[in-house]
Amino acid sequence: MKPRVVPFGEGALLVELADEFQENVVGWARAIADNWETVLAFGPAVPAYTTALLRFDPLRLAPTEAERAAAELLARGEFITRAGNGPPRVIQVPTTYDGPDLAETAEGSQLSVDQLVALHAGREYTAYFLGFLPGFAYCGRLDPRIVAPRLARPRERVPAGSVAVADGQTAVYPLTSPGGWRLIGRTDLAMFDAGAAEPVRIRAGDRLRFVPR
Amino acid sequence: MIRISESGVRSTVQDRGRFGHLRSGVPPAGAADPHALAAANALVGNRADAAGIEIIGTPFRFTCDDSRLVAVTGRDVSLATRTRLDGWGSVFVRAGQMVTVHSGERTRFAYLALSGGIATPAVLGSRATYLPAGLGAPLRAGDTLPLGEADAGPEDAGRLIAPTTYDGRARAMAGPHDDRFEAGALERFFAATYVIDAASDRQGTRLGGAPIASPAGELQSCGVVAGAVQVPRGGAPIVLLADHQTTGGYPVIATVIAVDLGKVAQRMPGESLRFYRVERDEALDALRAERRALDGVRISA
Repeated sequence: MKPRVVPFGEGALLVELADEFQENVVGWARAIADNWETVLAFGPAVPAYTTALLRFDPLRLAPTEAERAAAELLARGEFITRAGNGPPRVIQVPTTYDGPDLAETAEGSQLSVDQLVALHAGREYTAYFLGFLPGFAYCGRLDPRIVAPRLARPRERVPAGSVAVADGQTAVYPLTSPGGWRLIGRTDLAMFDAGAAEPVRIRAGDRLRFVPR
Repeated sequence: MIRISESGVRSTVQDRGRFGHLRSGVPPAGAADPHALAAANALVGNRADAAGIEIIGTPFRFTCDDSRLVAVTGRDVSLATRTRLDGWGSVFVRAGQMVTVHSGERTRFAYLALSGGIATPAVLGSRATYLPAGLGAPLRAGDTLPLGEADAGPEDAGRLIAPTTYDGRARAMAGPHDDRFEAGALERFFAATYVIDAASDRQGTRLGGAPIASPAGELQSCGVVAGAVQVPRGGAPIVLLADHQTTGGYPVIATVIAVDLGKVAQRMPGESLRFYRVERDEALDALRAERRALDGVRISA
């Protein structure tokens, strides 16, 4: 698809960059969101894999003006300067690999449990964006040898701290919630603390490493 | 201070929402019927960002330690002191005077505003309660909440705002994903009459009725706004409300305009809902008209 800007109600725009996940597009979407939120300061922005949602107050900024500004950000291309999010950090996630889906996921991937753990803990992941729950970071990519389709029936209750995989991605559930990812382990590292100066542990763009214990 | 002696079924402190941490996955929360809370705030002379109480299931009963202007809004709501007063108007209440918020069988959310606003500490820039993440807690009988300073007197009472007509009609703009659906899907969506599903909550209003075929192929999750009409695989649309997740993976066929969010949120299970297509200019006109109406009431104090 050709990148485009479309209205999302009267107070937001959706910048669509691609149909499919591409490593370079994720950074591009985030850079557009950063510029909107931090440099232009028009309102909050929500980057995702291939899109950036750009919010604004339509009584202060005419939607046509907002569209023009978004189109200009888009026209600057994928080498648009990052702003505001700070340098990426490497976050170590101490992980006990004893999740309820560990054995089945290993079997489905034709791996032993030890092999699956070694693959999962053996690489550094990028936190692509946050969504779903406060502090839930979509991280990837998984080693393609780990085959982890989402559960056909999502669980009603996934405990906070669960380390999970699904469709090439990995994440830590920050809160106890329903969820359809496969649970392979757990961590005590808190992912969300509303009382902290920075409420989320992981920012988009950070690097993540799971450390077996 | 407000002292709550009966708390209804589930009542929470809400403001217009928490928009500063969307990219960290923190949902906006805030009033499910934003216009109703905004109207209640305007009626008691509060700023637009003041916090009030969203009440599900009445009666809700309280006293205040000092005299306050009080207003209740929502669908089929009223207020009782010694006499019973219709909603959508401001009332002067003396220190210690018992006030009861009443609602009807069709009331989903009632909003209570007090002059000065609820002054609980803001968390992440907002006083909005978001229960799934433990931001705030349901209010209980015996709770006391601080109120902000206000100097409104009896002469400021009696102001009125025209109540929202909760008639099962909501205006919506097409998109952003309307062109991914099969031809005719958007027209069918705007022609259909939906029925509210019992599983509706502050996260979204779930609709039953003729299903819409969802587009082939996977959609990458994207940031979403309240009012987004998502169409999951089964074809039964969900209109996202205040507690919506910040990102969603279902295609969005249309987006309910901001001033009509309450007309969706306040529908009860089993009631009907229809969508009327508007363009962005009409949505902006509606927003300006709402702002004028609220400011008009506020300034006349």
